[in-house]
Order: sequence, then structure tokens, then C-alpha cells
Amino acid sequence: MPAVSVRGVSKKYRIFPSGRARLQETLSFGRKKYGHDFWALQDIDLEVEPGTTLGVLGRNGAGKSTLLNIIAGIRQPTTGTVEVNGRLVALSGLGAGFNSEFTGRENVMLNGLILGIERQEMLERFDDIAAFADIGEFIDQPIKTYSSGMRSRLGFAVAASVGPDILILDETLAAGDAVSRESALQKMYELRDSGTTILLVSHGMGTIKDFCTEAVLLHEGRLIASGGTDEVIDHYQTLVSNIRQSKNPRQKEEEQPPDGGAIFEGKASKDPTFKEDLDFERRVADHRSGTGEARIRSVELLDERLRQVEAVAFGSTVTVRVYLEYLEAVGDSELLISLHSQVEPGQITKPQEGQFYGPNLGYVLELYERYRENPVSVDEQTREFFEDWNPPQPETNGHAPGVAGELFSASTALEGVPLKEMEKGKRMVVDFAFKVPLQKGRYKVSVGICAGDEDSYLDRIDGATTFRVARPNNRKRFRGIVHLPTQIKVHVPEGERQGWSA
Amino acid sequence: MATLYDKRWLIKYLAQRQWASSYQGSHLGLLWAILSPLLMVALLTAIFSEVLGIRFREVTGDSTLNFGIYLYCGLIPFLAYSQALTQGVNVIRRNSSLVEGVVFPLEVLPLTTVITSLIQSLFGVGALMVVLAVLEQRLPHLTALLLPLVLVPQLLFTSGLAYLMAVAGTYVPDVRETLRAVVRATFFITPILWPTGRVPEDWRFLVDYNPLAYLVESYRNLILEGKLPSAEGTVYFSLFALMLFVVGFAVYSRLKHNFADLL
Repeated sequence: MPAVSVRGVSKKYRIFPSGRARLQETLSFGRKKYGHDFWALQDIDLEVEPGTTLGVLGRNGAGKSTLLNIIAGIRQPTTGTVEVNGRLVALSGLGAGFNSEFTGRENVMLNGLILGIERQEMLERFDDIAAFADIGEFIDQPIKTYSSGMRSRLGFAVAASVGPDILILDETLAAGDAVSRESALQKMYELRDSGTTILLVSHGMGTIKDFCTEAVLLHEGRLIASGGTDEVIDHYQTLVSNIRQSKNPRQKEEEQPPDGGAIFEGKASKDPTFKEDLDFERRVADHRSGTGEARIRSVELLDERLRQVEAVAFGSTVTVRVYLEYLEAVGDSELLISLHSQVEPGQITKPQEGQFYGPNLGYVLELYERYRENPVSVDEQTREFFEDWNPPQPETNGHAPGVAGELFSASTALEGVPLKEMEKGKRMVVDFAFKVPLQKGRYKVSVGICAGDEDSYLDRIDGATTFRVARPNNRKRFRGIVHLPTQIKVHVPEGERQGWSA
Repeated sequence: MATLYDKRWLIKYLAQRQWASSYQGSHLGLLWAILSPLLMVALLTAIFSEVLGIRFREVTGDSTLNFGIYLYCGLIPFLAYSQALTQGVNVIRRNSSLVEGVVFPLEVLPLTTVITSLIQSLFGVGALMVVLAVLEQRLPHLTALLLPLVLVPQLLFTSGLAYLMAVAGTYVPDVRETLRAVVRATFFITPILWPTGRVPEDWRFLVDYNPLAYLVESYRNLILEGKLPSAEGTVYFSLFALMLFVVGFAVYSRLKHNFADLL
């Protein structure tokens, strides 16, 4: 029998522009509508087995607290049912259930009584609770004089002392310093080991990773991922790094990321529609070159769920989607993309002697070239920087079209997806999908199309789109530009086995 | 209803806390529970005997009775009623941290305010008796011992109102503003300032169909005049109070799940 089982739970709030509108709608008895519905939760199904420690993840407003409140019985679901087996204690938010005018002692008693413990029993437990909460003489001061850490310790101490079968903790551990968090965690481990089911909301990934055995991810009121903590946390981090949400994520969620380098052709349902993007054309007008037989109409950067984003998580797969139109009939053609690291103007700093230039050296060199051709083409700060700068001499400068700062390039021909003869007016959408195990920072994507073996471009856009790689999490921090997949094996040399294993 | 019994400790604790918290911060603390009604009744007595010189003979009934005492005796049940109403209407909002933060037996909240106000009125009765004995050299009538018989239906009556007000005040915040005017109006249509004997025949219904009038009259009969309240009135009032309580409690229980969402 699951400790908590949530079936088809949805929660609707009716949002009114003003209190008066709410009153008017109520008084019209359903004849007039002044508000609109907001679904805080939609069709949540969740089963939590006894002894599970479940982390609940999601951005602010994703519905985490609403869900936990519904499980706790503080709020009622609009539809669906919740079944709870065992004594449930919920600590939602900091010092919830505390009356700030009362003293710590009174609040402990009050909370115990609320939780249904006899007064006598509560008096007996009081010393333990006070000892664990560790707030000393403040126990007889009103709660309003407490620090947030003291409040959360006291709340947690009461909840833990009750011996719950199911414990719901909503952000409660966030307050408090390292020491009190440590003792709270200690207590949580004790509870977990004694078989308590724990539901935990926390923005501290570390806590969830270390403590929880399972996790779920809520997004816009829906449960979009559940399973092992690592997996769900990865999912969450991708979500968080996609700061710019697309307008209609729900529709796009159903699409699957394509395989690398595939061409969409024909009428399969997943095909994107062709897009002419006037904003794009205007933006790239100055960075455009080529003979013009084909034209790149738009370039988009998509994340793993094919939403247009600006920032992506370290190591995730990005898709560069190119909208291409042939203005003339063209024989075989080749579409190329290349990836450069990018520095925003003013961001170049003068390296100390002996210090290496890091991931942006290539770009600095590129800028330097431009500066030498025409000093006015770069901004003032950069100009000042270059005035007394001796560029380090690159040993080799790659091969032909290679530009300094280029991290990698790919083309349809190179990846074995040739673009055959095209008639005039033919439109294509080409996706390049690749992983970005890159240092945090900004990167730009240039796109070009050339015909056959010719070197000249039909159309080329320098910096057609840019994106940012978010800071990798602690475990994946590294130096350099790219983190190549690495396998490590430790060998013990023949004859020294003993020393190693001792 | 069973929850109310299960949570009797909680109700007791909350009532105690609420009661104590009204005097918190003052140096005399709980002494004020008896001191402030004492001051009030002493003031009323002094005004009506020494300053204005109005003895009750000019109005009706017992010719030696001080009008201030007569007035205060009627005020006791009225103050309990007005307090239960004005606090009941705010009770959910005031305790939002309990409503939204924890699983809380919401039934206890209005009842707690009612019990607190009734305890306060008991202190008022005590103060009244002290003044009666000291200033007027009268001993209270033995019928005052029957006061608990009125207190029980009074508890039902005021809690019923408090439950209804708690629902109304939570759903429509404007009720809180309206309520003050309503309470003030009931003060004037209830025989507190004026004696029932003086009411013209056309306005008798203000006394006959006014549950507060029954309470006010009963307090005066039992404490000041040594008479029993009319049996008919007691039965009607008790039935009405019980009905009000059942309805109020039922409405409250039906709607309490929505409170967290309305805050």
C-alpha cells in the first residue's frame, strides 16, 4: 500500500482582476463571467511507496507547494483524489503554524496540540525538542524575535518529534546555517532510516541529490519527469538554463529531438513549417556575404526539446535549425555551420604576463585582424587594449576556411547528408544537432552555403545566431574550452598490487 | 462535532493564550481582566448616582437601583456578542499562518473566540457583584447561581453567529466593515439603554423577537432582581440558539476547505 497516492489531481484557481469582480461573479450566480481559470496543477498522478524520500523539483510557481499542500490536506484538489496512509506532518514554509506573538515554548505546545498530541505527552517531550532546536534562553521569548534559522529549527524539531509516518518539508531547510542544516539533515537521515516517507521541496540540488532516492519535476502545473534523482535533476537543470521560454512549450514538448544531421523533407507530421523571419534578415544584413543564388532565411537555436532558447546546459544537445531557400536552380550544394567562442565588446581583459588567453584567444585574434585593417571597426575599449598588445603567434592557423577562434565546423557533405540538385524556389529546413560540452560562455554560430566544390559562398552569415552555455554544476567544472569525454582507468603496476590495496 | 471534543486541549490552550495575550505587555497583566470591567462599572455607577443623580425610580422597577448598574448588567451579554461577531469575522485571516501553513482543525477557531469572550463576561459579572456589594450595599440574589443555565444557550447562540461570520468575512471581506454598523444598530434596538417597560406597543417586537433582548433581560433578572427568566422565552431562545449553532457549524464545515485558497 503506497504511503501517498495521488490520482488525477488538478487544482484550479479562479483569477479575478479585482475583488469586486469576484463579488459580481458570485452574485450573478453563474450568469456572468468576470474572471478566468488558472490551473495550478493538471492531472498529477503520483504514488509514493513507504520509506521513499522524494524530492520535488520545479521552478517557482511550478505548483510544488500547491501539490504538497493538497497532499497534506491543507488545500482541496479541484478534481482527483489523494490518499494518505499514516500520520502525516507537513512543514510548509518557514515557521508555518507559528504565532509570532507567542513564545517558543507556547508555540511548541500549540503545534504539538495541533498535531494531535496529548498535552501531557507534549510536556514530556518538550525538553528533547528544545534541546534539538538549540535556541537556548530564547525559548521563552516571542517567536517574532527569532532569526529565520531558529524558526526553522524549532518547526523542524516539533515535526520530527511527533514521529510522523510521512513528513512533508517545504523549503524548511533552506534557512539556517551550515551547523543547523547539518543537524536537521542528521535528523532527517534518522527519520528516513526508521522508515519515514519524506517529501522534500528544496532548491538545493545538493540536498536532493544526496538525500532523496527519487525525484519528480513539476513544470507549469504538470508532472514532466519522475524517476531517479540524477536523471530528474539533469532534466531540471536543462529546464532552468532555458531562461527564455518559448511561447507554447506544451505543443513542442511532444516533439522529439531529431537525430544529428537529418534533413526534413516530405510531409511527415513532425516537419517544421518554413519561416521567413524579417527580423532575422534585418539583424544579419551587415554580416552577410555571397552570390545570392540561395538564401538563408532564418537560423534558430533549439534546445533538446526543440524550443528556441538563448542558454543551454553544459553537455546538452543543441540543434541549429537553418531555413534555406534556393532562389536559382543549383546543382549539388553544401551547407556548413561553424561554432566560435565569442566575447562581448569590452569583455576582453588584458592578460597578465605568462597567463594564457583562454577560450577566447581565437576571437581576440580575429578582432585584432579587424582592428589592423580598420581601427575604427572595433569599439573604443578594445582599441585601447590593442594599441599596446603583441599578439601571441599561433603555431599554425588551421586549414583553408578555418578562422581563428573556430571551435568546430560541420557540413552536410562532411556528415554524409549531401544536398542534391535543387530547382528554383525550393525550400529546405536543415537541422544540425550536436552536443555542447563547452566551457561556460557565449558562442556564435555562423552558417554558409556553397555550391559543389566551389569555394565561393552562395550565402553566408557570420554570427547567424548566438547562444550561451550555462555554468556547469560543481562536479563538471573544468578548465579550457571543451570537455572531451574522458574515461579514466587506474592501473596498478605489476608487482605493486599489495601497496595499492592496503 | 467530535473534532471539537478531541481538540478540547487545543481549544483550551488557544483560548487561554488569546485571553492572556490581550493583557500581555501591561505591568499588571491578568489583573486587568478583573480591573477593567471593575473600572467600567464603577465609572457608570458613579456617573449615574453622583453626577447625574438618576436613580432608577425615574425609569421603572426597583426604585433604589442605580441606573449605571442596570446599564452595565445589560452590557455584559451584549459585549460578549459584539466581541464574538467582530472577532469571528476576522478569525480566519488573523490565523492565516495556521490555515495555510499546517493541517489545522479549523473548527476550533471561532469557538475559541467565543469562549474567550464568555470568560471575559464572567469577569464582568464578578466586577458587577463587587460594585453591587461595596457601593450599593446589596448582596446579589441567589438566582445568580442559575446564570450557567443561560450561559449554555448563550454559548451556542454566539458560536453559531461566529461560525457564520467567519465564513462570511472570509468569502467577502467587506462584511467586516458592514458588521461594525450592524453591531452598533443592535445596541440601540436592544433594551440596554432603555427599559422594556417603556416600549410602545407597536415596537414590542424589538423585545419579543430579539434574542439579545432575552439575554439582556435574563442577566438582569437573575443578578439584579432575583427573578427567573420566563420559561417560554428560555425554551424559544434555547431552541433558536441550538438551531443557529447547528446551521452555522454545518455551513462552516462545508466551506472550510476553501479558506486556504481565499486568503
